[in-house]
Amino acid sequence: MADWIPIALGRDVPDGVTRAVIVDGREVMIWRGEDGVAHVWEDRCPHRGMRLSLGFVRSNALNCLYHGWQYGAGANCLRIPAHPDLTVPPTIRANAYAAAETGGMVWMSADGASPAPLLPEATPVISLAIEAAPERVLAALGSSTAHPIAALPGAAGLLQLGWHRVHAAKTMLHATGTGADIAAATAQLRALRQNLEQGAAA
Amino acid sequence: MSLTDDRAALDQWYTLGALRDFPVGAETPSRLLGEDLTVRRLSDGVEVRAAGRTLPVRTDYGHLWTSFGTPEHALFALPESQEPDRRWIHCGPVRVRASGLRLVENFLDLAHFPYVHTDILGSEAHPEVAKYEVEQRRDVDELWATKCEFYQPKAAAASDEGQISKYMYRVVSPFNVMLYKTPPTAPDRWDVIALFVQPLDEAVSVAHAFMLVIDETSTDAELSAFQQMIFVQDKIVLENQRPSLLPLQPGRETPTRADLSSVLYRRWLKEKQLRFGTEPRTDLQSTDLPNA
Repeated sequence: MADWIPIALGRDVPDGVTRAVIVDGREVMIWRGEDGVAHVWEDRCPHRGMRLSLGFVRSNALNCLYHGWQYGAGANCLRIPAHPDLTVPPTIRANAYAAAETGGMVWMSADGASPAPLLPEATPVISLAIEAAPERVLAALGSSTAHPIAALPGAAGLLQLGWHRVHAAKTMLHATGTGADIAAATAQLRALRQNLEQGAAA
Repeated sequence: MSLTDDRAALDQWYTLGALRDFPVGAETPSRLLGEDLTVRRLSDGVEVRAAGRTLPVRTDYGHLWTSFGTPEHALFALPESQEPDRRWIHCGPVRVRASGLRLVENFLDLAHFPYVHTDILGSEAHPEVAKYEVEQRRDVDELWATKCEFYQPKAAAASDEGQISKYMYRVVSPFNVMLYKTPPTAPDRWDVIALFVQPLDEAVSVAHAFMLVIDETSTDAELSAFQQMIFVQDKIVLENQRPSLLPLQPGRETPTRADLSSVLYRRWLKEKQLRFGTEPRTDLQSTDLPNA
């Protein structure tokens, strides 16, 4: 997996909300506490394997839907409701990825070894799923998969495209703009998707 | 996918559904353990065929049972089926995209009541699972969990107030399980709720819920609707567990004291060397694998 990967527009994960994302075949989830901080975890509760994206946020903790196990921002389990008096061992924890938010996007890193990129603030435009390999999508944008961000050619203003690989033949684009014409950029991206998906079928 | 070669799974009795769902004179397709079947209900019996051979058939407890192999035990006993005042309620088949073993394990679980069946079988204000007892009864090869208690806002269709329900759980084979529970109207007896799982494939199952209950007021439709509502809530959880297959490898999941029955169930499945519906293990040498 590449180092830092943009996996969603920050706007699409409001405070107190969870969201499931597939990144290169892995099921991950994003949740945002009431304090506004976004977290990226494996989409799986270590207790019984329940997807945590179906869980619920209260205050700055995520609760699994199945048995209400509560995880704090540091991914450690704080509470097991079936045993209210139990001090939960620190070894019980969700599998957290390094997470960051910059340029209007939520980013994840498998190891967080290098610092997250720093991008200027930008207005969210749209996240778009394209049924085509990232290599084809990035080539059509005049870029390559060596870069986590591409620019939309010919767009008014600056339109940045983060992308992540869903699986070998599916790409998610996350578009943000600075002084961009949002309606025109959205139309341009939809046209790009149509070209790529028809090309795949041909 | 074709028929499994898992001996431990083949040598068991499985239900294909309630007998009433196989009309006399009709041929009904079915599936079990990765293999397609045909059920023919005749006026004087039932015939189950798979790939040109005829399988053994039983019709106990209003259900059709079959096996691909040679079950080690006779079909389990259900003495409550002899009691004349029991209502027999078939809750209808529900298809679930998960291992049948996950279904059984969820059925054995008390701790999810407040979160999955909120304000019905449990309440967030009373999530504690008190200590209960588990045992493997080697003479009948069954697992039992006894002395289970849980506060329930609406324990059954006939409930009009909360109660502390008493439960016993009984696993009679890897895919067949039942519970005994205090009825709201007859505290000295036990309602029986059974979950017979028909594993179609490793990660696709059909749940056949069946009740033998003491209830003089609710209609059949009310009793069945209550159980179906509960099971639809379970289905959401079951289809979102990862992996869909039950992990038997130590360390893959994290049991606590409330999961004692699950711990015993998994140990028993390992003892039987059951593989169908379990996650392939990476911690065993290939020579340790059954049938290797």
